[in-house]
Amino acid sequence: MTVRDLPVLSSVFEAGADDRVFDSLLLVGPLVIGVIILLERSLITEALALAYIAVFVVYTLYRGIRK
Amino acid sequence: MNGSIATVGRDIGRILEALGGLMLVSLVVPVVWGEFYALPALLVSAVIPLGIGRLLYRRFQDAEAPGRFHGMIVAASGWFSVGLFGSLPFLLIAWSVQLGLPGFTTPAQTATLAAFTEPLNALFESMSGFTGTGLTMTDNEEVLPRTLQWWRTFSEWIGGVGVIVLTTAILSRPGSGSLTLYESEARSEKIHPSIVSTVRTIWWIFILFTFVSILALWLAGMPIWGAINHGMTGLATGGFSITDNSIATYDSVAIDFVLIPIMLLGSIAFPVHYLILQGDLRNFYSDLQTRWVFGYMGLGSALLWSFLYFAGPYETPFAALRYGLFQFVSAATCTGFQTAVDATNVALGRWPSYAQLTVTFGMFVGGAAGSTAGGIKLIRGLTLAKGIRHQIADVFYPESAIRRLEINGRRLNEEEASREFMEAAIIVVLWITFLVIGTFVLLLTLPSGEYSLANVLFEVASAQGNVGLSSGITGPESLPTVGKISFLFHMWIGRLEIIPVLVTLRTIFQRGGLYR
Repeated sequence: MTVRDLPVLSSVFEAGADDRVFDSLLLVGPLVIGVIILLERSLITEALALAYIAVFVVYTLYRGIRK
Repeated sequence: MNGSIATVGRDIGRILEALGGLMLVSLVVPVVWGEFYALPALLVSAVIPLGIGRLLYRRFQDAEAPGRFHGMIVAASGWFSVGLFGSLPFLLIAWSVQLGLPGFTTPAQTATLAAFTEPLNALFESMSGFTGTGLTMTDNEEVLPRTLQWWRTFSEWIGGVGVIVLTTAILSRPGSGSLTLYESEARSEKIHPSIVSTVRTIWWIFILFTFVSILALWLAGMPIWGAINHGMTGLATGGFSITDNSIATYDSVAIDFVLIPIMLLGSIAFPVHYLILQGDLRNFYSDLQTRWVFGYMGLGSALLWSFLYFAGPYETPFAALRYGLFQFVSAATCTGFQTAVDATNVALGRWPSYAQLTVTFGMFVGGAAGSTAGGIKLIRGLTLAKGIRHQIADVFYPESAIRRLEINGRRLNEEEASREFMEAAIIVVLWITFLVIGTFVLLLTLPSGEYSLANVLFEVASAQGNVGLSSGITGPESLPTVGKISFLFHMWIGRLEIIPVLVTLRTIFQRGGLYR
């Protein structure tokens, strides 16, 4: 059994982006928002949100440059 | 005839089932916020479409597969049904608070929530949500229960995905822009060969962008509940807000400027987003519509800035830039967020007429086909402009000359060019016709002398373009009943690009059955 076979994950991977990074962002997104709701605004939650956006932007640019 | 009714009935049944499911999912919100009095109302609201949908689906499940005309009727009647049943949470929660529920603690009734005890107001709000318009029957969104704040946001978000699916997968046809994107000679790649996989792809892109939008707004300083709601309605170019003065409530330069790219994301065709996420960044400039999204929004904002600074109400170039840029992008992407209000600066309705008409022009043109934006769509405007130029230039060529019209990398022969030009022209003519009719209706029903022609034209264009900016006319008391009914129709035809609604109405009114 792999990570892709787990119940929620399998449907995300099946319907998702067919790309490991975008799929991960789709899975991690609700968790990051959940953490922000629970912990409210702090250096850690701001860093988390910033990291999420940075990964999305940098990875999209990286794919473009690589192509 | 019976076969057509069965096909349409089956698909409407599935749509209503989905709507009921979305309401059931939304039950989480009253639980999380402790608004337990909203639970019975939301549950009943969910069970009704779920039951009717299940009944329709079971009755007609063996119906034939839908054709193009079925698709149009399902889209038009489905959108109307969703608007109709989607009004139940507004109506039932408002009445729950009004009458009180035995065994539940209900808050004091507010004038804002009481407006939804009127079924027409509830229907208006729901239709405005699902069509991504954003005009509202509330006078202070802040006092609404969180459950209804969420339902308004969720309806716009779902409506946003719905319209992308509609234009890219179901109703794509020559001249609509969506098919144009798919069939581009320069880029023959479709999102996916089947509708199901296309819809899935649109979902993941939309969800991913939603997370990014929410986090960006939160980082800009918006509280997380506001970021969730405005991130969703901003990307869906819907424009519902949870605050009394829309985005002006925050009075934050950072939030204003973060919302601009979010609204732009929503107004770019999703097939193009797909290609960009696949690494084909050239689409930012090689795709005709995307290039024009930036070009025409830049030009429009610059023009508005000059009106607002040199002849208008703002004293500093930065203030004119901040409000001019935001309002033009908000209008042209058909979002409808408002930063120009009297509480912080100068309300849109008090801007000079030429500034209001510039914003109206943005609402008329709208964003790219295949996006969540409304209006006539950029591709139609460009097809018309190029087609007219082509026709005029034709005079200067010998009759034997073979000329082709080039649109977005495609070289159209005489027949193709004529077909696409014709369709774009029909939509634009219909759009303007209904805009004029709506303006007349509103001028006749509003108290004379209270609003200028620019105000009225602005408001009708806003409803029909699914924008949601208001010059102050729309409201539970200020908009007469005839105006509300008229706006319901404008929002409906605007979302479906007019023709499917006309096809549906013709089918309904033509006795003798569905198409012969």
